[in-house]
Amino acid sequence: MTSINSKLGFRKKSLWVYHFNSGGCNGCDIEFVASLTPRFDLERYGVQLVPSPRHADVLVVTGPVTKNSEGALKTIYDQIPEPKIVIAFGTCACSGGVFNNCYNILGGADKVVPVDIKVPGCPPKPEALVELLKKLTLGD
Amino acid sequence: MSGKIQSKMFVEPGTILDILKKEVDNGFNHLVTVTAVDLKESIELIYHLSDLKGNIKHVSTRIPRDKPEIATVTTLIPGADFYEREITDLFGISFYGKQTTTGRFILPECYPPGSPPPLLKNVDSNQVKDTLAKQETCEFKATTLHAPLSPESVVVPVGPYHPAFKEPEYFSLVTDGERIVKAFLRIGFVHRGIEKAAETRSYLRDIFLLERVCGICSASHSWCFVEAVEKLLGVEPPSRATYLRTIVAELERIHSHSLWLGLVGYWIGFESMFMWVWGIREEIMNLMEEISGNRVHKSFVTIGGVRRDVSDSLLRKIQERTKEFGKQFENLLDTLVSSEEVIERTKGIGKYDIEVARKFCTVGPVRRAAGELFDVRKLEPYGAYTEVDFEVPTEEEGDVYSLIKIRVKEVLESINIIHQLIEKMPSGNPVPSRYFMGTVPEGEAYGRIEAPRGELFYYVKANNTHNPYRVKIRTPTLANIQLVANILEGYSISDFPVIVTSIDPCFSCMDRVTVINSSTGEKTVLPVKLLKEKRRR
Ligand code: SF4
Repeated sequence: MTSINSKLGFRKKSLWVYHFNSGGCNGCDIEFVASLTPRFDLERYGVQLVPSPRHADVLVVTGPVTKNSEGALKTIYDQIPEPKIVIAFGTCACSGGVFNNCYNILGGADKVVPVDIKVPGCPPKPEALVELLKKLTLGD
Repeated sequence: MSGKIQSKMFVEPGTILDILKKEVDNGFNHLVTVTAVDLKESIELIYHLSDLKGNIKHVSTRIPRDKPEIATVTTLIPGADFYEREITDLFGISFYGKQTTTGRFILPECYPPGSPPPLLKNVDSNQVKDTLAKQETCEFKATTLHAPLSPESVVVPVGPYHPAFKEPEYFSLVTDGERIVKAFLRIGFVHRGIEKAAETRSYLRDIFLLERVCGICSASHSWCFVEAVEKLLGVEPPSRATYLRTIVAELERIHSHSLWLGLVGYWIGFESMFMWVWGIREEIMNLMEEISGNRVHKSFVTIGGVRRDVSDSLLRKIQERTKEFGKQFENLLDTLVSSEEVIERTKGIGKYDIEVARKFCTVGPVRRAAGELFDVRKLEPYGAYTEVDFEVPTEEEGDVYSLIKIRVKEVLESINIIHQLIEKMPSGNPVPSRYFMGTVPEGEAYGRIEAPRGELFYYVKANNTHNPYRVKIRTPTLANIQLVANILEGYSISDFPVIVTSIDPCFSCMDRVTVINSSTGEKTVLPVKLLKEKRRR
């Protein structure tokens, strides 16, 4: 975690997050959104959901990568300025999960972009993301 | 009640239109879906028709494999369009007499023409995977009007990754100033190929796969599938299990509707509404976690019962907490839904009438908002819905505001249902002594339940083995989305997210298939930039 943490340099103080659903079932996405709402309130750590990858420090990928979203994922990754961190949120994004042998699935997000942190769970609880981003922001 | 398909009406492929016409005139005017099954020597098409009294009819026809074509029924039922296109892509059947059939519908654009349709029995998943792997990245293509645009017209691409949507989808809006002239829709970024995968896994494993069709209505999917399988097996779950299933399904409806209400608030620029609703919704998520161990994928329903019993103390807790939720929710409504801002932005927006709603085979709240009581819980009661007394709200206007009103009332009604069920809860053991691992005798059955977004339909064909021979899923969004592309015309761009959100689209469900708009004269023009201008604040 420390190495990832230092990778971001001064930008780690207030992480801006871009969310990308590469073909998931929606479960991870609603939990991701839930982490921004009052009960979990990610924003208290300076985390903000941004509408453009060009403004982001962190890319959160949910769901397995489908053939259709492969290109988009690459493009989005390329648009995020360096240094950047990619979080695979959910078992699907980690490995393809339950959909692994479906014909339109390439696998986890790491098949397409370099992934720094994997958060397994189907879906992971919002707390997992809160804890993780807190660690990234404040250090271990 | 979902049931075993005992009798089908066998007809010649050439007569399909006439037969359907007769049935529609007899009152069977809702086309639930069209199922294709590869029987190896021929391909069977089953048209599932329903009337408004809860009767269902299955019209079956067989078409030869070497000449897979049949007349389209879209001339009679326009809503059949997407069902047919799905079949064209997955089974290679062409429907003649259709206005357009350009490009891929379900599969990625880069799946080469002439490659074997993936759902045929002799095609292997890996074969499809390999073919796709050989392709360069799939650049999908945007669609726009065929005719030259007038100088004032601009094509505004929205998506596929746009903050307005939590899930990927793509709209091209042909606009004249602020006004939308024509809307084209292209979805399918979430197509995974679940129906094929379901054929290769055992019934038990399929439950876990199928509930992951969608993370919002996950219990509905597993329940619907299990209903069909139980019918094939002739198993009747203990009544405590049906009560518990119904409670979980209603909790899911509450969570789904409040999630949606929050999003609507977000899209009309009322962010506090979003935060408040999502804030109180957490209570429901807590309950679901306490019941099943997971907030989202509850894996609660299993063949022959449920996977866990719910203790009496937890049942009481559910009663108290939902009551409390109901109070807070009503409080919110007083301040929010009656507020000027909400009314201004939703009243009279995205209007459609019942004729249009019928035409596109819409289901659920979308159908009810235009004034038709179409609810599977009433039409074909399943679970414990016969045991309780509840109302299904309808509205007349068919605009976004009536959709809000309907869903809000449904939430309160769901709480009422849950309370009644808990009061009457039968005793007994709802958990089967062991999980079902056996084979399912030959036969066909369907499951039909009212998911939060409307009628959900499963067709399951068994052949005496451990795996289903065919699983067909028709999700509510596929039925509802055709309406949206057609009602957008004439509204301003700022209404666009609200109208799209209003039907509560769930693309994960739907994108087991890919969708491309149906209007005539469309052509591929724009090279698509994947990331488009973001939300203007
Ligand atoms: S990890 Fe689970 S919840 Fe997340 S996208 Fe995959 S199936 Fe859905």
